Amino acid sequence: MALPIKYIINKTSLFFIIFFGAISLNFFLPRLIPGNPAEVVYAEILKAGGSGINPSYLHQLEAEYGLSSAPIYVQYLVYLKDLFQGNLGVSIAFYPEPVFSILAQALPWTLFLVASSITISFFMGNLLGRYAGINRNTIKDLSVNIFGMFMASFPAFVLAFILLDIFAVYGKIFPLFGAYSIGMTPGLNLPFILSVLYHSALPILTIILTSIGGWILGMRNNIIPNLNSDYINYAENLGFKDYQIKNIAYRNALLPNLTGFAMSIGLSVSGVIIEESIFSYPGVGMYMITAIDNLDYPLMQGIFLMVIIAVLVGNLVVDLLYGFLDPRIRQEGE
Amino acid sequence: MSEVLNNSNDESVGISKGLRHLLSGVAGSIGMLLRNSKAKVGFSILLLLGIFAIVGIFFSPYPPNAYIFAKSLPPNRINLLGTTGYGQDVFSQLIAGAAPTLLVAFSVGLLGTLISLAVGILSGFSGKRVNSVINAVVNIFLVVPGVLLIMLFGTYFLGIHRNLGYLSTIIILIVTGWAFGARTFRSITLSISKREYVLSSILIGESRVSIIFRQITRAIMPVVVSNFFFTAMYGTMGLTFVEYLGVGNLEQVNWGTMLYWAINNEAYLTGQWWWILPPSIMISFLMFGFILLNFGLDEIANPSLRIFLKKKPKKVDENA
Repeated sequence: MALPIKYIINKTSLFFIIFFGAISLNFFLPRLIPGNPAEVVYAEILKAGGSGINPSYLHQLEAEYGLSSAPIYVQYLVYLKDLFQGNLGVSIAFYPEPVFSILAQALPWTLFLVASSITISFFMGNLLGRYAGINRNTIKDLSVNIFGMFMASFPAFVLAFILLDIFAVYGKIFPLFGAYSIGMTPGLNLPFILSVLYHSALPILTIILTSIGGWILGMRNNIIPNLNSDYINYAENLGFKDYQIKNIAYRNALLPNLTGFAMSIGLSVSGVIIEESIFSYPGVGMYMITAIDNLDYPLMQGIFLMVIIAVLVGNLVVDLLYGFLDPRIRQEGE
Repeated sequence: MSEVLNNSNDESVGISKGLRHLLSGVAGSIGMLLRNSKAKVGFSILLLLGIFAIVGIFFSPYPPNAYIFAKSLPPNRINLLGTTGYGQDVFSQLIAGAAPTLLVAFSVGLLGTLISLAVGILSGFSGKRVNSVINAVVNIFLVVPGVLLIMLFGTYFLGIHRNLGYLSTIIILIVTGWAFGARTFRSITLSISKREYVLSSILIGESRVSIIFRQITRAIMPVVVSNFFFTAMYGTMGLTFVEYLGVGNLEQVNWGTMLYWAINNEAYLTGQWWWILPPSIMISFLMFGFILLNFGLDEIANPSLRIFLKKKPKKVDENA
């Protein structure tokens, strides 16, 4: 099979453009905003009780922000060098912990939530949409439709505290906080994995419910024109079995939804980040709220960069996979 | 063609004509919308909320931000929806907060749609180079999660002792929300501009501006309306994001700030449902209205998507 080289190059170059765009935004934004972020940060550290800091730290901070007198391109290169060495500065709210080590703990949890919820939501949503489309004009169709539209109208965190109230506060079925039970040491053993699944059930369910409506209605609205189309009539006349015809229509209706899958990563990340603090789930979202409350610029910039990189990688992988799934793109290389 | 393009008189005629077409297109789409049952329900929801908001501008039982009651009272005769943990009247806040919430939702929807329309048509109707540059920019904004940009800009605003008021909230939501529409409009413009009637207009010598306004905008009008609802939904959701993250102006009363204070005081853990549920329900209600209008529009554009419950299936069952 020939590779769709042009497609791959397009997608990969977009990846690098956005990657450097995000890095540069992170570099230039502190310089565009009036005022000196280093002084703000310094004042925040003093306020946070970092009394042991001597004034020379202010100069160090200024240097870290590249607010030295060096020409801007030198500052930019120093910034890039630091970045690729994993040096994202020191957090203010969790002084003196480095931002990188905070994110190394938090990011995997967020990625776990995002990855599992969007995959489950995609598969379940498409199957439900298929079910509604195939049983068109029945009460099944109507109820699946209403379910999808109803769920799509909740902001993620609203549904989050509703579910938390029902299942954790009053129902006491699911835990109130954390990613695994207190006192457990992370490891690849069955009790730990079960505990992780148990703690992540509600956060994942929230994102599934808020995002599933789009897939359901998208699939239903794609499969109905497909079922009405000429090639399906042709297949029927040829004597294809009922389930075979449905599968053909389903497969063709799936492609537009697959393009949407890459874009949904960004939306789901937004949802997960917002809901994490409600579930007290130790992901990036919880640290983000802390970072905003404490004006913790280094931590915030680290979160910005790391999440964007994760989203970009996810997008690239999905786009490349899509290139192999869609025969129109696959054949372009031949 | 360049002569025609330089003729400003011709263009202004084209624009005024085009605007008339545009307006009649909008009116036509809205008229069609109201014949669909989903859209009717959605429209009634928006209308109800609109009335609620207008009433709220002129009248609220008590000053919405005054700490004049006992803290955390459950609903009673004086405070219809109880009081907040700070002693404010929840119902007064709810009715006073409606207008700003709707304002943000509708302005983000309207301005965001206009911007994505302009970008989409420009990109779809211009040369390859401009097209691919715009496409790259659109893709960048599609990929980056909006929450991250809100966080980044919001915190820098906080750093210089400012917060996101309504104007800056609307701006940042448009910045993070225009790309979806632009992508749609671009692909539709691309396909329309290749059609024969557009080609023949170009050959006759009709100016580009006139073609854009007279033919392309009219052809994509239903999508424009649907995009407006989607973007307005994003505006509603985005306002709650801005307020929830605490980078907005938290002294303003809207459904987003109401949620912020309720969640920040963990009203959902302490059983103060009357504080947290009303704004949540109103926001979800508003979103539901937009969604219904949107899918109603889909059904108008493609009648085969409609659900006809009564007629077909039952009779077939009885006969069988």
